[in-house]
Amino acid sequence: MNDAERDPDAASDVASDVPSEADPDAALLARVARAEPAAVRALVARKLPRLLALATRMLGDRMEAEDIAQEAFVRIWKHAPRWREGEARFDTWLHRVALNLCYDRLRASRDEPVDELPDSVDPGPLPDARLEAHARDANVRAALAALPARQREAIVLQYYQELSNLDAAAVMGITVEALESLLSRARRNLRASLAAAPASMPASPAQPAAPHLPNTRPRTSDDT
Amino acid sequence: MTPDRFRAIVDAYGADARHWPAGERAAALAWADAHQDEAHALLRASAQLDAWLATDAPPQPDAALTRRIIASAPAWAPAPRGLVSRGVAARSPRARVWWSGAALIGAGLAGVLAGAFVVSFALLAGGPPHGTTPATASDAPSLATSFDGTTADWSGE
Repeated sequence: MNDAERDPDAASDVASDVPSEADPDAALLARVARAEPAAVRALVARKLPRLLALATRMLGDRMEAEDIAQEAFVRIWKHAPRWREGEARFDTWLHRVALNLCYDRLRASRDEPVDELPDSVDPGPLPDARLEAHARDANVRAALAALPARQREAIVLQYYQELSNLDAAAVMGITVEALESLLSRARRNLRASLAAAPASMPASPAQPAAPHLPNTRPRTSDDT
Repeated sequence: MTPDRFRAIVDAYGADARHWPAGERAAALAWADAHQDEAHALLRASAQLDAWLATDAPPQPDAALTRRIIASAPAWAPAPRGLVSRGVAARSPRARVWWSGAALIGAGLAGVLAGAFVVSFALLAGGPPHGTTPATASDAPSLATSFDGTTADWSGE
């Protein structure tokens, strides 16, 4: 049995994921279970960008990430009629499914020798600004790819997917303390990559922490 | 909130307080307010890393991928009206199948009965006129079948 076929809800045993409020996806999922076309379109619009971002950052390959997203939606269609609110958040379950699919791919690609470099599309000449952005993206992606898989998973879930610490720990099947340890190590490694790629650093403001404290206060959800 | 815990939070979650643990956010912000120099030094390094990570734009799904995924969803099959109530059809897909099967069987039986009636009517209409009805089926060759008894006993041959 591969990872993706294991019960994603098992992660809840480690970090409690009992939602304190109604699952925001529950009503839509109930309509998807009835195969309502509008609900299907709405769920795809809501979840596909997140799934694609997650898989792309975990695998570093857009095409493979698209395969993961498609497979994850097949799981959604299959499980939607049996979904029961209150056990785990749908978004948490979906992240676990997608990550299991990613790990299946990572294991398979590790086992298969790479005969040739994958085809890449020649982007043609790019304006300077786009070249710089392209280089920054490539540097960040390379730094993420260089992380050990569990550290990458932690930073992708917490920073990019913006899961709470409880949700991220639940998805990973670990305690919050273990999550914080992985995050700290990931950020330390990323900082080393950042130091090695000074050209890709964003322009450093004169007061970099100014937006984060009073007069220099850190941003909170109330700020948005 | 201790200095060590504030440092641990920033080390793990970065400089953006929206990413900090919800249960500790207020206390951490209060500590940062009260110890601005210390907090500033810790946040400065993390903010730089956050800004660098933020330069990685998330990939956007294209229309073809979206279409493929929508097409992979189960087809919507509204309950047939007039044959079965929406409630029954919505509750149980098996009930829909049962009702569909019953309808097919009913239609089949109706067809068989109608066919038998038409054949019988045609045969009777093509028979001899009233008053000359033969006494036995063997006297009316048009009504005889291979399962009918025959009066010919071939005894003369």
